[in-house]
Amino acid sequence: MNRSMTRRTALLAAAVAVAALVATRPTQAQDTLNAYSIWPENWARPMLEEFTKASGIKVNFLRFSSGEALARVIAEKGNPKIDVLFGGPVETFAAGVKEGVFEAYKPPSFAALPARFRHVDGMWVAIADDPLVFMTNRKFLAENKLKAPASWEDLLHPAYKNGLQMADARTSGTAVTRIFSILEVNGRDEQKAFAYMKKLRGNIQLYTKSGGGGTLPVGLGQAAGGIFFIVDALDTKAKGYDVQISFPKEGIGTAAEGIALIKGAKNSAPAKKLIDWASSPAMQSLFAVHKINFVPAHPEVKTEASLAAVLKDAKIFAIDDAYAGANRKRIVDRWVAEILP
Amino acid sequence: MLWSLLALFVVYPLSAMFGQAFLVDGRPSLGPLLSALGQPNHRAALANSLVLGTLVGIVGTTIGFLFAFTATRCNLPDRWVRLLDAATLLPLISPPFTTSIAFVFSFGPRGLITYELLGIKGTNVYGLASTLAAEVLTYFPIAYLALRPVLAAIGGNIEEMAFSLGSSRWRVFRTVTLPLAVPGLANAFLLLFAASLADFATPLILAGSRFPVLPTEAYLQITGLFDLKGGAVLSFLLLVPAAIVFLLQRHWVGRGHFVTVTGKAGPQSALDGVSRGARCLLVALCATVALSILYLYALLLYASVVVAFGANHALTLKHYVVIFTEGWKAIKDTLIIAFLGMPVGGLFGVLVGYLVARGEFRGRQAMELVSMANYALPGTIVGIAYLIAFNDPPIALTGGALIIVACYVFRYSPTGVRTTVALLKQIDRGIEEASRSLGAGSFTTFRRVTLPLVLPAFFAGLGVVFIRSMTAISATIFLVSIDWILITVRILENMTELSLGPAAAFSVFVIAVVMLVTTAIGALLRRLPGPPGIATVAGYGGG
Repeated sequence: MNRSMTRRTALLAAAVAVAALVATRPTQAQDTLNAYSIWPENWARPMLEEFTKASGIKVNFLRFSSGEALARVIAEKGNPKIDVLFGGPVETFAAGVKEGVFEAYKPPSFAALPARFRHVDGMWVAIADDPLVFMTNRKFLAENKLKAPASWEDLLHPAYKNGLQMADARTSGTAVTRIFSILEVNGRDEQKAFAYMKKLRGNIQLYTKSGGGGTLPVGLGQAAGGIFFIVDALDTKAKGYDVQISFPKEGIGTAAEGIALIKGAKNSAPAKKLIDWASSPAMQSLFAVHKINFVPAHPEVKTEASLAAVLKDAKIFAIDDAYAGANRKRIVDRWVAEILP
Repeated sequence: MLWSLLALFVVYPLSAMFGQAFLVDGRPSLGPLLSALGQPNHRAALANSLVLGTLVGIVGTTIGFLFAFTATRCNLPDRWVRLLDAATLLPLISPPFTTSIAFVFSFGPRGLITYELLGIKGTNVYGLASTLAAEVLTYFPIAYLALRPVLAAIGGNIEEMAFSLGSSRWRVFRTVTLPLAVPGLANAFLLLFAASLADFATPLILAGSRFPVLPTEAYLQITGLFDLKGGAVLSFLLLVPAAIVFLLQRHWVGRGHFVTVTGKAGPQSALDGVSRGARCLLVALCATVALSILYLYALLLYASVVVAFGANHALTLKHYVVIFTEGWKAIKDTLIIAFLGMPVGGLFGVLVGYLVARGEFRGRQAMELVSMANYALPGTIVGIAYLIAFNDPPIALTGGALIIVACYVFRYSPTGVRTTVALLKQIDRGIEEASRSLGAGSFTTFRRVTLPLVLPAFFAGLGVVFIRSMTAISATIFLVSIDWILITVRILENMTELSLGPAAAFSVFVIAVVMLVTTAIGALLRRLPGPPGIATVAGYGGG
């Protein structure tokens, strides 16, 4: 027998075997939908299971941080694999609108939502609100005889040198919200804001890929502190790590968390049902039940008492999404060029 | 056939990628490249990557050689050798960033070693030193696996001849063993350099913001800024050094032909190649490395059975419950993909390696280069290239398992290719010629003579494809889908979700499965008919 022919046959056989074994899985039942979740699994899973309980619709989902999720949605534009983009800061959704990956849909709650919790044409709606906070390690504070930082200036204290972890603006919506917070407290004076960030840079130990990436190091005391979304910070505390949450007196930003229908979604009827449910009190009243520290976006749902207590005296402002959307790319590019190196 | 597979799964996606990098509005342009080089952050990342890759290559090859030499030349009791093997196996069979996390626990400002044990305050765990250490500990076993069969194949007879001619041990080592191991060493260096250039996960956790490296920058460029073009350009910057090292290595190794497995070889004699003092030193060095590895993994195991590492150390099994309920789909999918890729990858590696080393046809070198491309490129880029190339018709594969299997096969079979080439370079063509002149057809010769000789390489290649299918992340993080999800992706997600327990439990599970499978391969091999020496070597290769 000819040698090269045998090799060919063997390879062909292998290829056929693989193809046969890997042949696509059985097609999904009618009452199923697919989603990318930007919310971490420990918050998305209980919510989506509640949805299945309420509606009988099964949700297959996969978790990605906001940058990755959006990159996938854009790459899959010609052949969408999912129906809904679930959770994640509103900047991500604004970028998606620009790329034309969403389909407008106005759920019943649309009219009830405040303007900053909905896209004007219904490209996305908000399902929660998520303020930023300062989080510091209490052992670190005690050792350095410091009070929890109560001003943006406090983070420049030399004791924090090489001690802060916060998110990288290239990947993280948390970081973008942080940078726009700094711009706001400096009256949108970019010179002043970037001068501050340059000073802050000296105290940064690590810029993390995802918004919550620094919470564990701060909890363990490997880092002194950082700036995180409240939902991540309170979860760190709930896990038993000895951390302190505080707010700057100048104020700090909050980001709406969104949901959107993907253009060309193959299961658009069940997808719309999920959007109806998530944007209504039906889901948002469950945050408290599952101890998820998001602030509800729907005006009819009350913020859970202990979360409200944390937020009581904090000065929190919404990031102006028109301003943020228009300047996002330029500001992030400038951050990469001037602050990161 | 091989060519068309390589064209489809290597050349086509990469062309799509380079189209992204160098076409602006359909016309070729250097603009994107120049603008990338204009950014100081990117220039620093390029320099850092080269430094890191070179250091990982040198240090990792040295340690790998040390281990291989100790295992083959020191007459250690079998139990000791197995211990060394077990320790080197661990980094190979776990996702790289798990070591990184153990590093963060150990060496930071509140690290178990730096703070709790030594009481040093204000240390910095992030930077070149810890990235280098973590990558070396993760990748040196590749060098060990690549060098061990080579050193074993060099065998005792030549060294013994040198001894009997009156050479000292050191002289034998310097003038016989080392030169004969050169192809293997160069091979190991290349594999490590490429592995370091391709690793984005370790620097992501350990490099810190003052030591940017290219694969991580490219990853962030793509995932964060949705900038495929920028990512493609950065990956091109990475490809250049990888290609240069590869060509240099070929040139350097290609100069000499060392034939050590000859038809005339007699029975192997027990070796006494090292003095008592050298033996103690070698064993002590290996033990130190092995113990530090075991320590890091003990930490990981511990994190998987406590409620919340660093905060609540009550023992619990709940993290294992989580991975076998919520994580069950990831486990099932990963296992299916790994078992599919394993045989295909092993076979593919040996076939390409055989053709490259023995074939006489045009484009032989091009084939070698192409088969290495997916390995040398950062996985991030391979993943994105696959995503771009295979998302839309005519060849729509994304969302299925086939694309993940293909990615692993074409990305990780080069270990098998290189090992086959290195082994074949040591085997006298005369053996095959003798077989043919005795009337055996070329297929019979391949099956009866060449195949048993390259069997160690087959199992080394197959083992690496399986291990990587269980542990790699950088390319396939872009290829997972709603229907097919991987354990490694879940681990990385768990880590960023503050779910350290499940991440550690997943890692422990991966390690257990891979150990089981590689042990089974080893046991199977020992039962195969064939020269005992080869079966033993192949058993280790399977790790």
